[in-house]
Amino acid sequence: MPILLEMKNIHKVYPNGTAANRGVDLTVHEGEIHALVGENGAGKSTLMKILFGLEAPTDGTIEYKGQTVTFDGPRDAIKQGMGMVHQHFMLAPSLTVSENIVLGDEPKKGVFSLFRDRAKEFQEVEHLISTYGLKVNMQAKVESIPVGQKQRVEILKVLYRGAKLIILDEPTAVLTPQETDELFDSIKALVSQGHTIIFITHKLREVMQISNRITVLRAGKSIATLLTQETNQEEISRLMVGRDVLFRVDKIPAEPKDVVLSVRDLGALDDKGALALKGVSFSIRGGEVLGIAGVEGNGQTELVEVITGLRKATSGEVRYQNKDLLAASVAEIRRMKVGHVPEDRQTAGASLTSSIAENLILDHYRNPDFKWGPFINKKKVKQFAKIMMETFDVRAQNEETMAGALSGGNLQKVVVARELSKNPLLLIASQPTRGVDIGAIEFIHREIIKRRDGGAAVMVVSAELSEVMALSDRIIVLYDGEIVALLDNTPDLTEQEIGYYMLGIKKQEQEATR
Amino acid sequence: MKSSKALFLEVGGILAAVVTALICGFVVILLTSSEPFTAISALLLDPLSSTFNIGTILNKAVPLILTGLALSVVFQSGVFSMGAEGQLYIGAFVGALAAIYLPAMSPWIHFPLVIVCALLGGALFGMIPGVLKAYLNANEIVTTLMLNFVAILTTSYFVNNQLKAASGGGYAKMENISKDLLLPKIFPGMAAHAGIIIAVVAVIVVYLLMYKTSIGYELRLVGKNGHFARYGGIATRKVIVVSVMISGALAGLAGIVEVLGIHGTFKENFSASLGFDGIIIALLARNHPVGVLIAALFYAYIQVGAQTMQFGSDMPREVAVIIQVMLVLLVSAQAIFTYIKQRYARSGQKAVK
Repeated sequence: MPILLEMKNIHKVYPNGTAANRGVDLTVHEGEIHALVGENGAGKSTLMKILFGLEAPTDGTIEYKGQTVTFDGPRDAIKQGMGMVHQHFMLAPSLTVSENIVLGDEPKKGVFSLFRDRAKEFQEVEHLISTYGLKVNMQAKVESIPVGQKQRVEILKVLYRGAKLIILDEPTAVLTPQETDELFDSIKALVSQGHTIIFITHKLREVMQISNRITVLRAGKSIATLLTQETNQEEISRLMVGRDVLFRVDKIPAEPKDVVLSVRDLGALDDKGALALKGVSFSIRGGEVLGIAGVEGNGQTELVEVITGLRKATSGEVRYQNKDLLAASVAEIRRMKVGHVPEDRQTAGASLTSSIAENLILDHYRNPDFKWGPFINKKKVKQFAKIMMETFDVRAQNEETMAGALSGGNLQKVVVARELSKNPLLLIASQPTRGVDIGAIEFIHREIIKRRDGGAAVMVVSAELSEVMALSDRIIVLYDGEIVALLDNTPDLTEQEIGYYMLGIKKQEQEATR
Repeated sequence: MKSSKALFLEVGGILAAVVTALICGFVVILLTSSEPFTAISALLLDPLSSTFNIGTILNKAVPLILTGLALSVVFQSGVFSMGAEGQLYIGAFVGALAAIYLPAMSPWIHFPLVIVCALLGGALFGMIPGVLKAYLNANEIVTTLMLNFVAILTTSYFVNNQLKAASGGGYAKMENISKDLLLPKIFPGMAAHAGIIIAVVAVIVVYLLMYKTSIGYELRLVGKNGHFARYGGIATRKVIVVSVMISGALAGLAGIVEVLGIHGTFKENFSASLGFDGIIIALLARNHPVGVLIAALFYAYIQVGAQTMQFGSDMPREVAVIIQVMLVLLVSAQAIFTYIKQRYARSGQKAVK
């Protein structure tokens, strides 16, 4: 296959001195699916920003279709036939699918092309949809269609602008296994029509499944380019991390003890006032991990918030150690040894403009041990923060470093350190490893299992099905605010099986879920 | 708690704004004055030419330091209060009542009592918008601006009617406060009154409160990230009310110190927007108490410089207003810029995978 794109010796040093790319070579052949893998901070995003004209490289050349090119902005890149599907959708929710697809480049008609040509718009969008088999109702408003279809709209958007080389940035992060399969079908269809795909991801299983070739980035450098059929997950991960990685979470069988948390017929509203939890009942014993699976937005957030006191329940009861949690304030619940790793560490889990130390003392700043008369004992705080940072391997200059300056993995370690340092009896971990690099994932998973083995009741909520399956002893599936399945995590339980429940295709009898 | 580099950049940015504002003032002088260099030297150097002028700078800085502190406290908790002006009037009013109408007693008891009354008056008046904001989600900018009118006009009504001094010679003011209670000069013969000592003590107290105590920790956390504070079990609503009350107390203190140090009694419209100048001081200082001290002194310096320039050259004092307005523009533009940068950095961070 002829070479379509060649990025040579790309360097990028940001004004603040961060070297995001330190000599990256990337060669993409025409008509291939090229996976770009690497840990967080390895330089994938920066490389793609450079390719798409969003950042100028400090050094290095880009050759596209045999010619050296420099892009001053995405506009230039789009003109040359490149398209990027961002991980976070860039769609206008209140507009229809077809309006979103043509937005900014609408077919015009009439004097001075003053008027929109709706007929032509529909015709062109219709044509795109049928050519690529990306099924979506083009009259529907984007806010009303499911996530998988929103992603198709994003892809249609770049195709409409004539993209031949399409960059997909972590496209499966928000999809269920079934939706992922459909996406892969679409990708294959695109390639068969002559398009080229750059696929950014950290899910190695998907890399093996879909790509032709793989380029591995580590610490801003391209480490290797491999043929997919000649490699395996272990090799790729070793190249990514620079050492051997355990894929499975090593754990002994659970030894469940007494019930620590029991939830009965719990109901709650979401922020818009709609019923988000419709009578949820389950219990967790000490020494076991209960996983909550489900497509995001099916009541997981509300469930966690009600248990931790951040949201009011409309019905039902939550009992913890024979105490009524619904009557307790957030502060009281935190004092009852309930640890909570919130789903969004950037807004709820940490204060980015505060120091690491200030983030760590959230449960201790009123503790007399940390006080000196009316004042906070700075020495004590420093000492405490130092120990925590060492124990949880937080890599930063010192404890005065702003939390916002930390990488995702290190910031999450700060959050986890804080929540585990109080030896929780109940640990609620929401998306504990979202956007965290492999090394940190391994570490956080080990810590969670350590707490389970120490007798704590653990609830893990994650959009990553593989994470739920790796950690849990039992799994419940939430769909539309209800528990549709309660499953023992036996070795023969498959992601596909859970996927059916997540999509609402299958549902257990209510008795079975109790 | 910032890295030294970030601090350096921040201070550098503020200094650049100050210098730019001064240059704008100079340009106006150069364009309009027939003796520009006399005018500029009168503006910059004459304020330091006599102990009287230095004393005036200190006296003008005192209420600015206190209102600047008042606003830096609420701003740090994420509440954009504009209410220092009204709280200042209420504090001064209540304090003046205590000074004039309480039965005779030793000044050693009476003076602290007057100060406490002023602090309480400001704090309780500040509590109103605080409660409205925290529990009813009323926009604090609107409520505080409205309550300023309530405070200024209500006190004005009383000093024009029931509380008007017979000896006032037509001026709307209260009876004179006993000499024993007025703030003495620091040194006999110097213009500066003891208010500067109160202001410096207030700077130290606010610094300790904000950076060394649990309340300060909660207050700053609520301002930096309310979600995080709530998640951590901090009663964010109470914290908001407390922060506005502390702010009100400081504004009230500014009012009574001005009354006891300069005016000798409560006069109608005595403040002339000291509470609003405090907003600029707090912005210039990036809400840091020590910064407030420096910014207020600078601001007072320019005001005195404007006066000395008016005496010593053909330029009117309004040039100082130009410099102040430029400062406001540049500083608030910088603040917006930082805000945008932060937002951008945050969204950028999320996109990095």
